[in-house]
Amino acid sequence: MSLFGRLYRGETSYDFVGARRRFLVISSVLLVASLLSLAIRHVNLSLDFRGGVAVETHNPAGAGVGDVRAALAPLGLSNARIQLLADGDELRVQTEALDADRADELVRAVAQVAGTSVTETSVDEVGPTFGAQIAERALLALVVFLGAVVLFMTWRLEWKMALSGITALFHDLIITFGVYSITGFEVTPATVIAILTILGYSLYDTVVVFDKVKENMEASDRGTFTDLVNKSMNQVLMRSVNTSLTSLLPVGSLLLVGSFLLGARTLLDFALALFVGIAAGTYSSIAVASPLLAVWKEGEEEWTRIRRRLDRFSGEAALPSGRVTPTLETARPRPATGATPRPPKKRRR
Amino acid sequence: MRRHLITLVVVLAIAWGGVAAALAFGVTPILGLDLKGGTSVALRAPDGTDPEVLAKAVEVMRRRIESFGSVQEPEIQISGETSVLVQLPGVTDRQRALAAIGQTGQLSFRPVLEASLLVSPLLIPDIESATTTTGAGDTTTAAGADETTTTSEPTTTTTFPSGVDPATGLTIEDDPTHEAWLAEYAEDGSVIWVYHVGPSQLGGADLDNALAGFAGGATAIGQWQVQLDLSTEGDGKFQELTKTAAAYPIGDPRRQIAIVLDGEVVSAPQVGEDVDPNVGISGGSAVITMGTGDNQQQEAQDLAVVLRYGSLPVAFERDQVQNVSATLGADSLNAGLVAGAGGLILVALFVVLYYRSLGLVTVVGLSVFGSLLLVVIGLLGRYMGTALTLAGVTGIIVSIGITADSYIVFYERVKEEIRNKRTLHAAVDEGFSRAFRTILTADTVSMLAAVLLWLLAVGPVKGFALILGIATFLDIVVAYYFTRNAVWIMARTRMGTGGWFSIEGAGGRPVGEAAL
Repeated sequence: MSLFGRLYRGETSYDFVGARRRFLVISSVLLVASLLSLAIRHVNLSLDFRGGVAVETHNPAGAGVGDVRAALAPLGLSNARIQLLADGDELRVQTEALDADRADELVRAVAQVAGTSVTETSVDEVGPTFGAQIAERALLALVVFLGAVVLFMTWRLEWKMALSGITALFHDLIITFGVYSITGFEVTPATVIAILTILGYSLYDTVVVFDKVKENMEASDRGTFTDLVNKSMNQVLMRSVNTSLTSLLPVGSLLLVGSFLLGARTLLDFALALFVGIAAGTYSSIAVASPLLAVWKEGEEEWTRIRRRLDRFSGEAALPSGRVTPTLETARPRPATGATPRPPKKRRR
Repeated sequence: MRRHLITLVVVLAIAWGGVAAALAFGVTPILGLDLKGGTSVALRAPDGTDPEVLAKAVEVMRRRIESFGSVQEPEIQISGETSVLVQLPGVTDRQRALAAIGQTGQLSFRPVLEASLLVSPLLIPDIESATTTTGAGDTTTAAGADETTTTSEPTTTTTFPSGVDPATGLTIEDDPTHEAWLAEYAEDGSVIWVYHVGPSQLGGADLDNALAGFAGGATAIGQWQVQLDLSTEGDGKFQELTKTAAAYPIGDPRRQIAIVLDGEVVSAPQVGEDVDPNVGISGGSAVITMGTGDNQQQEAQDLAVVLRYGSLPVAFERDQVQNVSATLGADSLNAGLVAGAGGLILVALFVVLYYRSLGLVTVVGLSVFGSLLLVVIGLLGRYMGTALTLAGVTGIIVSIGITADSYIVFYERVKEEIRNKRTLHAAVDEGFSRAFRTILTADTVSMLAAVLLWLLAVGPVKGFALILGIATFLDIVVAYYFTRNAVWIMARTRMGTGGWFSIEGAGGRPVGEAAL
């Protein structure tokens, strides 16, 4: 049967936990690259965080960068950052923070050179401390959110799952910021929103996997914890892939629209962070959170005992007696299609 | 069967009927200023400002903005300890908006000592300035004021009084308790008149109210006027001020009263012909007549606003001024709609191809979800004044992914149960009860994020969080009331067992194979 067929039927039996070394290498490379870039290049914070004035307008006069620079020279703003967007149909000028009067002069000059009026011009004027406020509040929200999630997951699942999930979350955050640092894209308040959303996504994914693990733990008391995690992950693999796809489709559409349509700069900022974050979130719930949980739980006394017993059984099974121990079935990951009937349904809290 | 069918019909009726009703009654979402153009200003008061003072300042701003008119749904909110966010959708004239909220001015009524056109009297040679002040009235009552005039009059052009800029002949930092040389500016910022004014005799606190209105009056032509209501204390002061001024003949600058805000002369009306110099204007009220025409209407209204709310109790610092032009706003909305529609179509195609008949349920479910979301946002706009911002639009696009996930969790469960050789009916029931538990857990995390963001974050993040929260809640509602019933019913039709496109087909059970 083709791989897709098996995926479709949920009959894959990929050893996710066994592949943890490979995942570790991939994640390490990504993390180190991200952290290095963050340390050396930092991130390109937008005007909203540094303070300054941005003027954006349509450009019916078709003014070029040189025209604009010439128009700004009498104002002493020749070092302004001038960009042509959407094939020169849109003009964007950024300067450092100006006082109110000079900002007005700037707006008039830009509107004139672009052939529009002042009221047809978008202006964003930010004081130097404003961005710090946004960032501060976002950070506060982040910390409180993480605390609440740890409590919730501990109550609903268990604390080791909560911490594994949070670890995967940090993994995603660092990589997302790393991508911004490496590509040099601006970090705007929209990016901050997107990154806060990623937190939700990343955990959401992890929660679904762990929920399945917990369900399997309650349903069966045979098999090692690693087997359990592998089985659960193969069961929810299609869900993870499909969910990521259905999340990425609208976001990808945002990215596409953001690159080609006017006025979509905010959307573009947002979409890029989401795209990277969702991809990283899906990967990390499979490659970081779950193997981490498996390795951690294997260390617990109860699960170590089960593992030892199973090892002993498989040793006996290798004897030439030919007797097959029934437990062998669950000792290796197997598709859920096995002939073993489901254990009776358990009512949960 | 009947129970499921009834629930399903009710859900569809609420969602689709709701949208139809909303459209019929015009309950459509209010667009935020980043989508339809407008101005948003973030102001910050000095640290340690008393919350009550801040609330008072916001109150003053609110009244000022309302008085300026033509602002739909202005929104002023205190965010954080000392920050105020003012949103003025539809206002694209940045300077006028800033004038409305930013003016911290101090209002004073002062006697005019002399006046000159275009340049300061201090820059005009002595003789001329002398001619301006000739024609001193034949009054005896205004002796005190008259004396001040003569003693303080500069007689040479070489020496300037302290605090006057030699280049312009204007007082740099106006102190209302001292005399000053102040200008009245035209709209383009050029000087029209320069007045030499005496110390303030009446402040903003002496005014109870000021209203602009159109009055027919005794004359045939109607005039735009500003009516002043004075406080008991202000009445006496005003009477004294006008008595002095009325002593001078018509046309003499000293018959004028300068209304000064923040070192600028806002208006300098002349005391009327029929005012008795022995009495002045008494009775606690006065009228400033502006003239006819649209310009005068605007002037009268703006003057009334300045008179009423002249001073804010604190000096704010501008943290952020964001001005979105209507065209750029429309572009953003457009881009958001195109991206949303594109995303929806892609998701719909994907689920139908992958989950077949179940995918159809998702497509209808998405329309139920979208309809409910639209109605809720419309209602929020109508009754709470909540506007849909660009961040909110992105929130909606993101929520497509979240709600699609709930279907996927459910369907994957159903497929799994079918593979476990359950009957189709049992697979659907069991699949839902197990999937719903996962959906609830995952949605709780989303909801937690939304609530915390809404409580803690500022600015655009709040709008995003609100939509995310609403969408998450609706997701649970739709999953429980719509999806479950729709799939339950579908399992009992040919869509359930009828081959490749059916639920069983999607679950991978070969046609004709019996369930356990």
